[in-house]
Amino acid sequence: MNAIGLLVMILFVLMVFVGKGQGVKAFVGLVCNFLAIFILMILINWQFNPYIVTSIMSLIILSVAIYLGADNTNVTNIAFKTSVIVVAIIMILTIIIQYFGQFQGFTTENSEELEGLSLTVGLSFSHIAMIAMVISVLGAVAEASMAISADLTEVIERTPNMTSMRLYAHSRIIGGQILGTAINTLFFGVLGANIPLLIWFVRLRYPIAMFVNAKLLMVEVVTMLLGMLGILLSIWVASWLVVRTHVKQQKVVIKNERNI
Amino acid sequence: MLSWFFLRHDAVLYTNPVGQVVHVSDKVTQKVTDEHNNSDVIRTQVLTVRLLNRRGTIKLSNTYAQSQVISNQYRVGDQLLLENIDNNMHILSLKRDAVVGALAMLLVGLLVIYSKWRATSWLLLSMLINIGLFGIAVVLNVHVKNVNVFLLFSVLAILFATASLALVLGKTLQMGITLLTTLTTTVLTIGLLVAVLRLTNNAGVHFETMSYVTQVPVTLFMAQTIIGVLGAVMDEAADIVAMQFGMQRENATRQFSDYWHAGMSVGRDIMGTLINVLFMIFIAETLPMVFLMLRNGNHWTYIMDQIMNLGILQTVISGIGIVLAVPVTSALVGWIMSRKVGTK
Repeated sequence: MNAIGLLVMILFVLMVFVGKGQGVKAFVGLVCNFLAIFILMILINWQFNPYIVTSIMSLIILSVAIYLGADNTNVTNIAFKTSVIVVAIIMILTIIIQYFGQFQGFTTENSEELEGLSLTVGLSFSHIAMIAMVISVLGAVAEASMAISADLTEVIERTPNMTSMRLYAHSRIIGGQILGTAINTLFFGVLGANIPLLIWFVRLRYPIAMFVNAKLLMVEVVTMLLGMLGILLSIWVASWLVVRTHVKQQKVVIKNERNI
Repeated sequence: MLSWFFLRHDAVLYTNPVGQVVHVSDKVTQKVTDEHNNSDVIRTQVLTVRLLNRRGTIKLSNTYAQSQVISNQYRVGDQLLLENIDNNMHILSLKRDAVVGALAMLLVGLLVIYSKWRATSWLLLSMLINIGLFGIAVVLNVHVKNVNVFLLFSVLAILFATASLALVLGKTLQMGITLLTTLTTTVLTIGLLVAVLRLTNNAGVHFETMSYVTQVPVTLFMAQTIIGVLGAVMDEAADIVAMQFGMQRENATRQFSDYWHAGMSVGRDIMGTLINVLFMIFIAETLPMVFLMLRNGNHWTYIMDQIMNLGILQTVISGIGIVLAVPVTSALVGWIMSRKVGTK
């Protein structure tokens, strides 16, 4: 029996047991996203324009992650709008950073893995570096924007006649909490993934100059920073959007009352 | 902006020679086609580099392929980290600290604008403490002989969780419960992983494909997983516990089943997106290698088996941890809270 297959089955059973219908949906969402990334790889390999492919696939992944994640359309619409805006900003930022930082490809540390592989493959690895950074930010952005818009919508529902100023103050408090925990998730995820690399660096006594300039490590740091920026921007944009729609709805209510 | 300016001019701090490219001329261009019919262009450029922390200018030649898989193209304005071997300068790496520093400052700046100085400083402090702890663990791992890697990183995980939760939540009952549920879930998850691996004799898992391995890969993978799972579970547990404490503040005489149902419903909402976060991180990491293998005419099944194997495994385990955290947290908090009511 294949260990990974068994673990996937355990995961599925647990998700159904804990999440019932929603758990099944979340599992389907994961499989869909896996397929989406698969298609992205194939398209890039066929040398389609990387910017267009990444944008389209990001949209698909975000919509799967968000619309399969929750039922409340108010929440999902705001979360989706937010994440599209934020991912667009992050993508532009990534292109700039990649231009200056040149984070593409492999280094001499990888030579063992690269043995026997042709390295003149005619595929721009600087595009691939950009794609990898954008993809790794997607999950964090979707999570943060979902969390804040769900929480704020619930606050609105619980207290019907809240002023937009109070709502804004609430968004600050909730946003601060979400920011802290979401950044921690990302931080530990990246830290965990890089244990072998860091041990390598320490064991081979790399000078500090290499720690802060080496491509391998800096790619990870930049990816983490971009993810954190994505989380922060999501919270910002989402709370702004929630407050704005709230104000609009209140105006409509007032108008209706006048008409009566 | 300021930090960018500073880091562009911090060459003095380096012991290695640092230079800035002032002139580039592309010299030879050669078209190549490899055995998989990938055509690429190889160029040689002559760089005129002005040294920033030594005197003088030097000329260097650099060969790169257009796809820049392992070689690098340099442009005017790039700063290079150089190395002097037998009076022959050669390029060690591009100097990237200015870009990374500027990005980090951008993040910190926006954080301060958003959530005031106090909250930001707590968050940054907890990150700095964690990096410090992590550094100590890595150094211990390297320098102490026969150290138990699994134990070392488990202790590290406990310290991580305690430090970050204490800084975010303070020394309260809420923090204690969150910590307890986080650790319980992590232990359960890792236990499950070990059990499954034993049961199946590591079938289909290729620990030997791990990159940058300098020691036994299995324990290293476990360490990676512990830290990764810990972050996600902590996030989730903190959310659920915070909500349940809110419930208790509203009405202190609730039953176990109230807490259980409320906790489960919050958990259900967040678990899907949380699994996605880690999934994206782990998959994105494998991307460059996947493309290189594809271009080298490897088959998808082989790539899935060799390159994406550990990434997928890690996603699945983290997923299990995230899902397990929901009932564990709901039950534990419900039990403690309803007992508190009983003793009163």
